[in-house]
Amino acid sequence: MMTKKLSPLQTVIMGIALILVLFPVFWILMTAIKPPTDWNASPAIWVPSEPTLVNFQTLFDPDALGKYGVGGVSQPATKAVFGSILATFIATTLSVVIGLFSAIGISRYGNNSKSTPLIILSGRMFPPAAIAVPFVIIFSNIGLIDSYTGLIAIYVAVTLPFSTWMLKSFVDDLPREIEEAAMIDGRSKLMAHLTVTIPLIKGGLFATTMFIFILNWSEFMFALVLSYTNVSTIPVQLAKYVTATAGTLYGVQAALAVLAMIPLVIVGYLIQGHLARGMTFGAIKQ
Amino acid sequence: MKTKDNMVEKTLKEYDAGGLTRRSFLKRMGALGVAAAVANAVAISPLGALEAWASIQGPEERAWELAKVAAAKAKKKTLTLLIPTGSIGNMTPYVDKWKNELGITLEFIEEPDEVIHTKGMQEAVAKTGRYDVMMPTAMSYPDWIDSGVIYDLTDWTEKYDPELFNKDYGVVFPASHHAQLYNGRVAGLLNDGDQITLLCRKDYLEDSAKAKAFEDKFGRKLAVPDTWKEYYELASFMHDPANGFYGSLEYRSPYYVKWMFMQRLVSKGMLYFDGEMNPTFNSDEGVEALEDMLAMNEFLHPDAFSFTWSSNYNAFGRGEGFMNIVWPSGFKYSKAPSTGPATTGNIAATVMPADYTKDGTKIYAGLFCWGYGYAVSKYSENPELSYAYAQWMTSPTIGADAIPYLGGYSDPYRVNHMLKPTKRLLDTYSPEYLQTLYDNMVNTVPDFCLPGGFEYQDALDKEVHACMTGSKKPKEALDRAAHKFERITRRIGKDKVKKSWLSLAKNLAEPIKKATGADQWK
Repeated sequence: MMTKKLSPLQTVIMGIALILVLFPVFWILMTAIKPPTDWNASPAIWVPSEPTLVNFQTLFDPDALGKYGVGGVSQPATKAVFGSILATFIATTLSVVIGLFSAIGISRYGNNSKSTPLIILSGRMFPPAAIAVPFVIIFSNIGLIDSYTGLIAIYVAVTLPFSTWMLKSFVDDLPREIEEAAMIDGRSKLMAHLTVTIPLIKGGLFATTMFIFILNWSEFMFALVLSYTNVSTIPVQLAKYVTATAGTLYGVQAALAVLAMIPLVIVGYLIQGHLARGMTFGAIKQ
Repeated sequence: MKTKDNMVEKTLKEYDAGGLTRRSFLKRMGALGVAAAVANAVAISPLGALEAWASIQGPEERAWELAKVAAAKAKKKTLTLLIPTGSIGNMTPYVDKWKNELGITLEFIEEPDEVIHTKGMQEAVAKTGRYDVMMPTAMSYPDWIDSGVIYDLTDWTEKYDPELFNKDYGVVFPASHHAQLYNGRVAGLLNDGDQITLLCRKDYLEDSAKAKAFEDKFGRKLAVPDTWKEYYELASFMHDPANGFYGSLEYRSPYYVKWMFMQRLVSKGMLYFDGEMNPTFNSDEGVEALEDMLAMNEFLHPDAFSFTWSSNYNAFGRGEGFMNIVWPSGFKYSKAPSTGPATTGNIAATVMPADYTKDGTKIYAGLFCWGYGYAVSKYSENPELSYAYAQWMTSPTIGADAIPYLGGYSDPYRVNHMLKPTKRLLDTYSPEYLQTLYDNMVNTVPDFCLPGGFEYQDALDKEVHACMTGSKKPKEALDRAAHKFERITRRIGKDKVKKSWLSLAKNLAEPIKKATGADQWK
């Protein structure tokens, strides 16, 4: 592939953009290895002179910060980490699988109504706060409050419009003739979609999965409102790192944020080849 | 525990029999830990020691007896508490006792403090029964009671008598009324004496060169400020930005800035509403208060516009300012070497500065803002046990024992915590600061402990902040806030809010009632 050299101005702009994008990441990484004395120092300490892993330790051993005279962390983050993994993986899988078949259904067998986009996306038109309380009432009545089942159900409900709409654009791009050829070869509709459609849109599938995973992984409002003690997730746990003896535990929050970033970085790295097209909702044709 | 109780009883009997001097008695009671909390009160009581001990110990014992009975018949052997994150340190020391002696497991559900009110309102519709005891601030009680999520505790308090209003060891008036009652009925039991006081750097006040320069300039001794004018002058005198040292660290940040305004407003003898629920803060006094704040901006720490409670405490503890307006926890921070390396041993605290009313009356007024307390959920399976927990934890004795534990927000709230403190309370605060807390608390005006309180507060906060950032003129900001207040009052119902407001105003300190005209309200 031909590569075009950037002009000096473009290089400068790109450099500034990179700094802006990467600065929060740098700051979180540095804060995660700062001792409590450096978290809130003035003037700010950019790179800690005595890096420490105590913030990471505190995530799983709440007493670890005790050696700095900071107490008051009462719960390890273990439950929140597992809670996030559980809720996010299941909800993402369900959302993408249901979204995929919905997308194929709408794209291939729908009536192409103009109101379809409105109907699909209407679930995303309300701020989460507006629908959170009604869900509290409904879930309380049916026993789903403070349960992973309830949380996963709402995650799927909230992300399904996205997954459906994203995947529909990829299916739309795929010529019907390819699937029809498979059917002429004797495959059923379902098998044609499983063996032809899905492999051919795998880039979009990866990108959609990644996108839905990020949405679920970072969701705060529903997890906060629908949880008591049985359910815990990383974003909610982040908000709980406040103690009476040290105020907000920025270092511990940063350490948990670093942990939270890891799966996204790994998955993002693995599927980066598919992201450019996927993240544009299929607008860029390969 | 039993052995200790026996030893306390033995000591009391010995003292009553004249077998111990007062000094030996205090020493021995002090050595017995919890007993030291009230040893002094017992020693100076006109009653016999045994009798005095029984009365001050009463709320704790009555609560414990109730807890034993309620625990025995409870089907669910867990008591679940909704508490703000960061407050658990005052409660964990008693978990084993409840488990071992009552068979009750204490389960804590921690939530960020800003969502506690919402969680309570959510429980009002969800009715899950997941919480037994809930720990809101005083501002939540009106909405929570009205939405039916918590019990009116009056019947229980009448029966088991937590001695909320005892003059020797009750909750300090008027916080006893403002932070626990709603329309004259007990809604919650206070466990956190949140009021704001003024801290100054003692080492700077004692600097002879500064003292001389100050006296030459202002014609008076260098000392903690007595009035807001003196506060301003001190800030301007000590302000040294070139060396990273600022006149004061008071808040200008969203959410906190309204309290700085409200404090100044009440010091001018002006409340938030008149007796007919008309907003009064957009008066000349309110405009003056905002103008005073704008003038102070020049001498504030540059982070004042972004301070949270913890970043403010940290900056003061690092030695970045001469004065600070803080909750009692701010004093604890500044006193501890780990969090106040520059301020430990160097703090002079005082009551909030006074100001003058239009007719020249000098008014000392404090602000009781925030202040956690225990409420009992209507959906609890064990409401009596929950109430017993609340009374036991806030009794004069256990309260005094719980406050000094680190990792909790609880600050002194009963008379004995401040005027007859334990050694641990003295070590955590200091005799001078505890006296300051008492002197300030008797003049406190409550926050918006009314139906819709958080809405009023938010409306005021936004407008005051807009004024501080220069986007609105003082009068314009206050008129806008007053307009929002009128809409909130109309929506909630004027009669309902008025009833609650008059109930609050009835229990203001006499000088403030008189200065504001609240003594004439019907």
